[in-house]
This record gives sequence, C-alpha cells and structure tokens, in this order.
Amino acid sequence: MGKLEIRDVSYIYGKDTPFEKLALDRVNAEFCDNCITGLIGHTGCGKSTLVQLLNGLLVPTQGKVFLDGQDINAKSVNRRELRFRVGLVFQYPEYQLFEETVQADIAFGPKNMGLDSEETARRVLSALHFVGLDETLLTVSPFDLSGGQKRRVAIAGVMAMQPEVLILDEPAAGLDPIGREEILGGIKSYQRARNSSVIIVSHSMEDMARYSDNIVVMSHGTVTAQGTCRDIFSNHELLTDAGLSIPQVTAFLAALRKNGIDVSKDIFTVDDAVKEIRSYMLRERNRA
Amino acid sequence: MAYFELENISFSYDESAEGGETKKVIDGVSLEIEKGSFVCVLGHNGSGKSTLAKILNLVLTPTSGRLVIGGKEVSGPEISEDEIFDIRRRIGMVFQNPDNQLVTTIVEEDVAFGPENLGVDPEEIRQRVDSALQTVGMSEYAKHSTHQLSGGQKQRVAIAGVLAMQPECIIFDESTAMLDPIGRRDIMSTIEYLNREREITVIHITHNMDEAVRADRIIVINDGKIYLDGTAKEVFSSVEKLRRVGLDVPQVTDLFYDLSPYLDLPSGVIDIEEGAAVLADRLKNGKA
Repeated sequence: MGKLEIRDVSYIYGKDTPFEKLALDRVNAEFCDNCITGLIGHTGCGKSTLVQLLNGLLVPTQGKVFLDGQDINAKSVNRRELRFRVGLVFQYPEYQLFEETVQADIAFGPKNMGLDSEETARRVLSALHFVGLDETLLTVSPFDLSGGQKRRVAIAGVMAMQPEVLILDEPAAGLDPIGREEILGGIKSYQRARNSSVIIVSHSMEDMARYSDNIVVMSHGTVTAQGTCRDIFSNHELLTDAGLSIPQVTAFLAALRKNGIDVSKDIFTVDDAVKEIRSYMLRERNRA
Repeated sequence: MAYFELENISFSYDESAEGGETKKVIDGVSLEIEKGSFVCVLGHNGSGKSTLAKILNLVLTPTSGRLVIGGKEVSGPEISEDEIFDIRRRIGMVFQNPDNQLVTTIVEEDVAFGPENLGVDPEEIRQRVDSALQTVGMSEYAKHSTHQLSGGQKQRVAIAGVLAMQPECIIFDESTAMLDPIGRRDIMSTIEYLNREREITVIHITHNMDEAVRADRIIVINDGKIYLDGTAKEVFSSVEKLRRVGLDVPQVTDLFYDLSPYLDLPSGVIDIEEGAAVLADRLKNGKA
C-alpha cells in the first residue's frame, strides 16, 4: 500500500455554477512510501488540482484521499496537523518569502509547529544544507537574494518542517542546468536522508528519468498510467498520447534500433546509454 | 545587412548601490546580428543575457560603447525620446511569465492594447488584431477571457500583441521556460514561422538546448562576455567548454562526447536521426 492513495477522486471547480469545470474525473493513484514519485502530464491535465487534494487544501467532490490508510478528510483528522505531515511547495515559491531574514523565513514553519528554538535552529541548518545554501546567508534579507537562491530558501522552509510527504510543484522550472541539478539533487538527498516520501510535479522527462523512482502520468483529468520509470518511459505511445515527450536519449536509442543495432529500449539517461552501447560493443566483439 | 551592431558595449547596474567597484553585467561585447536571422542566446542564470536583451531594445542604456540599430546610431546622447519609443515599437519583447504580460481581460483587447497606445486608426487596429491572432493561431479565442487560457495560449496572445505593433525584430526572453512540451512546441513553431515567412529578426533566449539547435546561430554569454558564437554544430562541438560554464548540450551530443574515447565519432552531432545513422555505421563496421 502506498503512503498516499487517492481512490475514485473527482474534483469539480465552481460546482453548481455556470462555470462548473470537471478537473479530475474518478482518479485512482498511489504514491509510494520512502521514494520519489514524478507526477507528469500536459498543462491543464489536473496535476496542480491533484496535489492540492493531497494535503487537504481542496476537498474532493467525490472519492477519498488516504494518508497511511486514513481518510484525510474524515472529521476526526486535524487539518492543521495534516498540513504539517504533508508539505506542499507551490510553483514559483520564491514569491512567497516574507520574513526579514533567511533564518526567520525558514524557521517560520517549524516555529508554527510549536518546536522549541533549539530544534528549530537545528532544522533550519539542516534544510539549508539540503538546498545547498551557505550559512552566511542566514542573516541576509531574502529579498536581496537572486531568484534561484530565493527558490531554495522557500523549499528549505517546507523541508524544515520535515513533513512525511514533501510535494513540490515544478521546483526546477526556469532554472539553468546547474541550478536544476542542484535543486533536484538536493531534494533527492533530502529524501534519501529522511526516508520520507517526495512527489515532484515536472514537465521535464529527462529530469524525472534521472531523479524519480516511480512515475504517475496524468492526461485530461485522469491518471492514465503509473509505474516505475522503466515501465513508463519504455512506453513511448502512452507518453505521446498524454501530450508528453520521451527523454531524447531514449528516442535516440529507438532510432539506433531502427538502424539495426540491437540495444535496450529501457534507457532513460545518458550514463545508461553509454553503458548500454559499450556493452553492445563487447557483446559484438565476443560474438565475432 | 546587420540589424544590430554592437561595438564594445558595457553595462553596470546602479553604481552608487555598492559604493565601491561596480560589476559589469555586460563587459565589452561587440557583435553584429543580421537582419532576418534567428539567433539563440544561451547562458546560465546571471550571465547577463537578459540584460543584453534589454539593451537591444533600449529598455536599458549601455554604460559605454556604441549601438547601431537598423543603420542608426542609438547610443549617443542626442537620441530623442520619440526615437527611443520608435525603436521599442520596432523591437518587440516577449517575457517568461505568461501571467505577467497580458493587460486586459479579453484576448482581442489585449492584442489591440499596443496599437491603441500608438494612436493607430481604429479600422487598422481591427485589421492588425485579426491578422496577428490569425498568425499565432488564436483567432477562435478572440473574444475569450485571457485568464482562462493555458500558458502556451497566453504566450501566443502576448506574441500577437507584439505583432500588432508591426515589429522588425522580436526578442523572446525565456518565453518557453514556463510551458509544457506542447506549449513549447507551439511557441517554437510560431517563432520559426515569424522568422522564415514574415522575415522578422528573432532573438531567442533559452535554457533549452533542443530549442537552441533550431536557430541559425547560437551566442553563448558568460560573465557578461561572448563565450562562444557560431552555428549549433560549431557551438555544441565544445562540450567541455559548455559544461565548464554550467550549460548542457543536447543528450545526443552528450552521448557522442561520452562515447568518443571508445569510438571514432564526429563532434557536434545534434540531430537524432543523423546521429543514429552515424553511430550504427560505426558499430557495424567496428571502427573502435
């Protein structure tokens, strides 16, 4: 069973008004424990609606959301606590900073959880470390930072709450390659260190192939597939139908197969492609 | 014929702010951009590429150096305000965030906003708006409200708004960064159409290498200086130089580079089909 599960969930915006819009249509999905799930899909497919259902910001029109097997919208569930357990980092979170110093901004969450100042300070430092920022920045105003640094402070602010599930909506959007790698790499090491669950919403197939363990594919308000990276990225048709692309290196190996070279379909990163082609060369040499 | 001529252009932001030395964001850049060409500008965050874009349409005035646009020197003190406005009309700009550049609530009103401000005759505005919307494929949305469009659709409306000003050149400042693969594809084909069919000079700033390979020429900016300049093939032959300044190359180019110790391969391969044919040939003929 997954850490988070949604069963038969529909969501309608503006229900019973002329603007009624069905955003999610009887969706079933499972987000694994202690791993990274990539949530992919074209714009308007319902990804952002889905993540807001996962921490109770939106309540399903129909169906249920389960955290550790418990219905999060049950009356007995404390909503405030739920949001400490499922942390959500919105898209472009750098616009949400508001405190006077980086330290205070990151500490805002843990403080609100009622943690003492010692524990708060410890968590601020550890979160700062995961997002790759220097301690000297703690006393600086977040408004004096670069866009990329602000984004990291905002992510650190949610990491510092150490939620059981950390959800990030497009955490690397608009960053340059090194910035992407640092943020996504930081999220991965946070996940590995804390053994928590992480859900990343992304448009980049290349990034998701590299950083996630499982993938959930959404299209037009439904979940069309879920599985391991291998299951999903080897199914080219499925991705194209969902308005998505496959990683370029995967497309390249497909083209190579068309040219009569027998290499694996299940290659999603450049490193693996290098290994596969070298092992192909070895296989051929041994045969000869 | 060169549309832009830059001679030793430098730019620093407000010198009084830091007190001491000011850092040159653009540092002695000299270059020419041909009329009707499609140029991509690459560089990591903070490299100075957006500043350069803003210098090109006179939003920022260079601290020193000579700038000639369309054969007319515009960097001297004698340039009048009217002339500056005229240049901004001729050189349109489309920014990154689709939500930050639409100003009205209805699509066609938004497209009309520019020419209205220029005092264009209402009948002609009507024609310009219709033709601009048709060019970007958004005619059927003319009466729709802007906030219900997808990101890619909003960007196309923003482009139509620029087109209605009848520009000679359009600068796209990471205009695809926030879009999903479909939105990106739509914008890229709109850009290519404007460049090829309408002969508009295009400067496209991006982090996306697959977009960059479609340009006639790639200029890589680093530390405010021109770092590399050439065709996609030439620029992407310098894998190590690009990595050194935090930039990626397309995955195919990367794969060829990583395989080069083991196989005799050409550098700067950017096309999947071409690359697959070359690699298949080498593997079959065992030229290890």
